[in-house]
Amino acid sequence: MKKIILILIFISPISIAREKGQIEITTNQGIEVFQNEKYYLLKDNVNIVSDDFELNADLVKAYFEKDLYDISKIEATGNAKLSSIKNIAAIGQKIYFSINDQQIQVEGENSNLNFNNLDMFSNKLILVDNIKKNFILKGKSSILKTEEIKIVASLITGKYININDVNEIKELDIKDENQLSITTKTAKMFSKKAKFNKKNDIIELFENVKIIRVNEIVEAEYAYIDLINESYKVSSKNNKKVKLLIDNKTNE
Amino acid sequence: MLILIFVSIFLILIIFLFQSGQMKKLEIKEFQAIKNVNYDISQPKFTINNYKRKISVSAKGGNFINKDEIMLQEDVKFNSRKFKILSNNVLFNKKKQTAKSDTSSIFISNKTKIKSEGFDLIENGDVIKFNGKTELIITK
Repeated sequence: MKKIILILIFISPISIAREKGQIEITTNQGIEVFQNEKYYLLKDNVNIVSDDFELNADLVKAYFEKDLYDISKIEATGNAKLSSIKNIAAIGQKIYFSINDQQIQVEGENSNLNFNNLDMFSNKLILVDNIKKNFILKGKSSILKTEEIKIVASLITGKYININDVNEIKELDIKDENQLSITTKTAKMFSKKAKFNKKNDIIELFENVKIIRVNEIVEAEYAYIDLINESYKVSSKNNKKVKLLIDNKTNE
Repeated sequence: MLILIFVSIFLILIIFLFQSGQMKKLEIKEFQAIKNVNYDISQPKFTINNYKRKISVSAKGGNFINKDEIMLQEDVKFNSRKFKILSNNVLFNKKKQTAKSDTSSIFISNKTKIKSEGFDLIENGDVIKFNGKTELIITK
């Protein structure tokens, strides 16, 4: 009987059906297990399916702690795609995620990370730390989008809070050596640096500031914008003047 | 009369089939005996040692390929404290302490099962490469 079972196992095609609670990993070119270094390499057309997430990539390096089952960190390279039931979806040339540290990093051209209502795009790096509740987007024309705001810059760092499974931006620090842009429902803003604080709903813009609203364009060196009552203060230094253009055409 | 002839033919046929079945069984037994005799080593058992782990290796038979290599055949098992590998044809190198198989192999470890089209065991078992289409199941 034992022999029959063994024969059946050996002659059956490569398929052990995944049951609930299990993680199923399939590859086309095998697995290399490095027991001393505590990691294994999954090679070619890798597919990882669990109850919580699905990951596809060309090559995956999985680090483990005690034994193979105890995965602590995953590095997926080449056409990496991750989707999770916890409203996380990522696409990039590289996706790293650390299970214990709750960190996810997406690298490469056309990287995208959708994390609840935060939609992030970059051509270089997106990093989210879900324990510290902060994130970084690096690379030319990186984009951070929510329902209320769209930010385009080469460096966006921020903090968020999670309320009822919705991520709300708490703080933002935005930089671009050329020009960053912030688009809200009522205005479009440009500058080299910007800061946002949810506590008092204030955006501060620094250097080469330009604010475009329905009937006006303001140019200055500094702007302090109150998003609650949609008012702003602008100023300039070094003998530069504040420029205000009012277009009355739409009011005629 | 005719019925008697039919019954006789029927009985002769049954006897003939029974005898040919018995012959076949005998042939299989003889073949298996020859096959067992053909192994250079019957039921080989040895261990691969390194500073960290000991791997016991066993099989139904083994044939010497050259002075360093043995082809382990049928029910080949690699057993260590942490894992077990099952396969049917494994080429073992005594000098290098490596093992290689190009046939279906199963790796069983704590909460883990790997099924592959072959494997390479190198560096005294510290590195195991599972080749071809491979499936890994982890039970949490």
